[in-house]
Amino acid sequence: MKINKKIGNVASIIHASIIFIFLYLPIIVVVAFSFNKSKINIVFTGFTFEWYGKILKNTRLIDALENTVIVAIVSTLLAVIIGTLAAVGMNKYRFKGKKVVDALLYIPVVIPEIIFGIALLALFSTAKLKLGLGSLIVAHTTFCIPFVVFTVRARLVGIDPHIEEAAMDLGAKRIRTFFEVLLPSIMPGVVSGALLSMTISMDDVIISFFTTGPQSTTLPIQIYSMVKSGISPDVNALSTIILIVTIVVVILSQSRMLRNIKKK
Amino acid sequence: MKGRLNKKVPLYTTIFPVTFWLILLVAIPLIYVLVLSFLTRLPNGRVDFVFTMANYKKLINPDYFHIYGISLFVSAVTTAICIVLSYPFAWFIAQGSERKKTLMMLLVIIPFWTNSLIRLYGWKTILGNEGVLNKVLLTLHLINEPIQMLYSLPAVILGMVYTLLPFMILPIYASVEKLDKTLLEAANDLGAKSIQSFLQISLPLTSPGIFAGSIMVFIPTLGYFFVSDLLGGGNTMMVGNLIKNQFYTAQNWPLGAALSIVLIIMTLLLVRIYTLMGGKLDDLGVAK
Amino acid sequence: MIKMKKILMIVALSMVLISTGCNKSKESAGELNFFNWTEYLPQSVLDAFEEEYNIKVNYSMYSSNEEMLAKINSGEKGMYDLIVPSDYMVDTMRRAGELEKLDMSKITNFGNIDPQFTKMYFDPNNEYSVPFMISDALLCYNSEKIPGGITTFGEIFDPKYKNQIVVLDDQRMVMAVAAITLGMSVNETDPVKLEAIKNKLFSLKDNIKVFDSDSPKSQMISGETTIGYVWCAEAALAMQENPKILPVYPKEGLPLLFDNFAIPAGAKNKENAMLFINFVLRPEISKMVSEEYPYVNPNKAAYPVLPDSYKNNPASNPPAGALENGQLLRNLEENAQLYDDIWTEFKNR
Repeated sequence: MKINKKIGNVASIIHASIIFIFLYLPIIVVVAFSFNKSKINIVFTGFTFEWYGKILKNTRLIDALENTVIVAIVSTLLAVIIGTLAAVGMNKYRFKGKKVVDALLYIPVVIPEIIFGIALLALFSTAKLKLGLGSLIVAHTTFCIPFVVFTVRARLVGIDPHIEEAAMDLGAKRIRTFFEVLLPSIMPGVVSGALLSMTISMDDVIISFFTTGPQSTTLPIQIYSMVKSGISPDVNALSTIILIVTIVVVILSQSRMLRNIKKK
Repeated sequence: MKGRLNKKVPLYTTIFPVTFWLILLVAIPLIYVLVLSFLTRLPNGRVDFVFTMANYKKLINPDYFHIYGISLFVSAVTTAICIVLSYPFAWFIAQGSERKKTLMMLLVIIPFWTNSLIRLYGWKTILGNEGVLNKVLLTLHLINEPIQMLYSLPAVILGMVYTLLPFMILPIYASVEKLDKTLLEAANDLGAKSIQSFLQISLPLTSPGIFAGSIMVFIPTLGYFFVSDLLGGGNTMMVGNLIKNQFYTAQNWPLGAALSIVLIIMTLLLVRIYTLMGGKLDDLGVAK
Repeated sequence: MIKMKKILMIVALSMVLISTGCNKSKESAGELNFFNWTEYLPQSVLDAFEEEYNIKVNYSMYSSNEEMLAKINSGEKGMYDLIVPSDYMVDTMRRAGELEKLDMSKITNFGNIDPQFTKMYFDPNNEYSVPFMISDALLCYNSEKIPGGITTFGEIFDPKYKNQIVVLDDQRMVMAVAAITLGMSVNETDPVKLEAIKNKLFSLKDNIKVFDSDSPKSQMISGETTIGYVWCAEAALAMQENPKILPVYPKEGLPLLFDNFAIPAGAKNKENAMLFINFVLRPEISKMVSEEYPYVNPNKAAYPVLPDSYKNNPASNPPAGALENGQLLRNLEENAQLYDDIWTEFKNR
């Protein structure tokens, strides 16, 4: 019995290791070849930092990064405002058409992104709307709203509905109640909804592909065309930079968090 | 009267923005796609507002059946592989200490903070004829000539599994975490064999995670045209590529719209099956 | 989970800092929305133009004429200021009133173009387009893997090349191979002949490993494929990386594309677009283009300064007569759907 369990343990450790290798192998390869002298990702011919220099001088990439951040921040803000209000209202009131709003919220989440992309493209182009930062922000806001609503709603479920009434009985105005009583208690939900929106927006390829214009290329779209045009190692260098930034930040914040857990 | 109106103000301020936004940017675009699918394409690629069934008639064609068939096949295989990989893995993680759990989940998520396209590009480097994997196998004399891996259906499936794996791991992990371990212990105490207690207790209790994960893997796979673009070498056409081509190369928007409508119907059927099996729609959003 | 999100926020914030830190404070005098083929113009030319005129270039790329037209038609009018359509696409767009007339007095370097490449059928008076590069699609093969070599399009249909070929992901260009092999026109619309072309084309499918319009050279260089049906410059670049790769001008003839600068109707920065066209026509700028993307350069004034790597490479600098039996694509009008249907079926086999 015990031996059986041991075998099982070893097997699951092996299984987990395989999964981690699977997850990290392509990343390791990308990083390794970013230091390769040869332009071709086949043979390692020597060590160089050349591609990093090339990336830092590439104004197009920096522009794309800027666009990505602008779109992510603005659409997250919009989505958070609209989504939080919606979650509060839908939690509190019954109204005609609530089911319709609910269904509309799920649609962007469940249907394949490409359909949403072409639907927005068709609308924008028929409405003669300019494709650019504006159209990107509108599109991103739309697919971010549901995520904000869901996370805030999940948080609202655990909140005593009487708090608000109590506050209002004590004479607080409705708006003040919202900002001083309700909002603080759902804040964790709002924050995680916002962060979720931001990540989804920053990594979106498909919907941006259909709704972007010439002045508003985002980083994922820029990378898509770089990756398509093949073998240039500056793609590797760029992703290594992104990866390092992420990992450093993770380590910095995580070491504190892990220590906290240990204390408990 | 004034009192009633006043009472409705908060309802309007909270619900109106979202309703307005969703109608304008979700309902109208999708209805427009539906309308578009019944319109006529002019020879110059523009759309004429004349009703026709031609686009749907065109869909009844072995080529399109084949493309939908391949897409469903790729989605099904991708989902199955993701389940097989994720399920034991989620259990393994869930058994660790708090600290270990956080660390492991973090290790799962970190790769997904790097751009997905870049990671697929990494696979291209690995799978090529003179790629890393073939080089290693050749050096070890395990093979005599390179295996053709890149630009094939298996390569596309690998890319899909790779891109979507966390969407399976996360919900399964969440459901395993929620599982009341005392139930298993009780079953064991009552003499149940481990396989028995797994099949009768663990599996049914964690199945919501599997179902939610399956939906979150299956549906996106149908539309991820960039995976088949990069790893399929243009050989594997999936619904996503077909729709994109109608909008971008063939300039046949009505046909592209009709293809999209079929895809929407397929998606809704899948989601319906999911909810009939007791799945919750909210589970699909939050884990993302 | 929520803690993880916190990390995300920090990542996002640091991204903001990075991007604002990199923000160039220089205000530009104007904009140019330039839509060009992938792998067709080096970054250095765009930088030089931005530097000299202080005009910001928004550069985006496409992989086929059809894709370009689709984007132009789907956006609002005037989304792009400058495009690079091929001959038949110039013809289509000019007839549809989708191109702006150029002010030739502003394009003073037009005289640099070899006169044999001006006044072509698609723009008889050169009012709408200015030649940029000429691109033929030829064959290339890896002589290490195929010592016997190949000389015709017909040979690549041989089943022994199963899964060994990279072709352009472009329906007109690939269907042209089947048509040329059968001795037919690349613009065939007769249903009987199209059926024959279709059957011929289908027999090629098993030999094709990958469709790639953006950078087929990488498939040749990385050894993924041994035969390539690629743009001439892609072959030239592949040869620079691996001298064992050799070009072939197929005996049956080959499809030719004349790529031109043109300004879409309603362009908002027409003046800047013409400035750019004139800029690229300068010999020293034209040289910069040819150094990186060695297509056949119609700029006669630039020829003396072109590098030896261009002049001595038979793929970029075609031997006399090599392009003589080249065929030009024509606009198919309402028959385009026939080609598209064959293409879908072909891709799908």
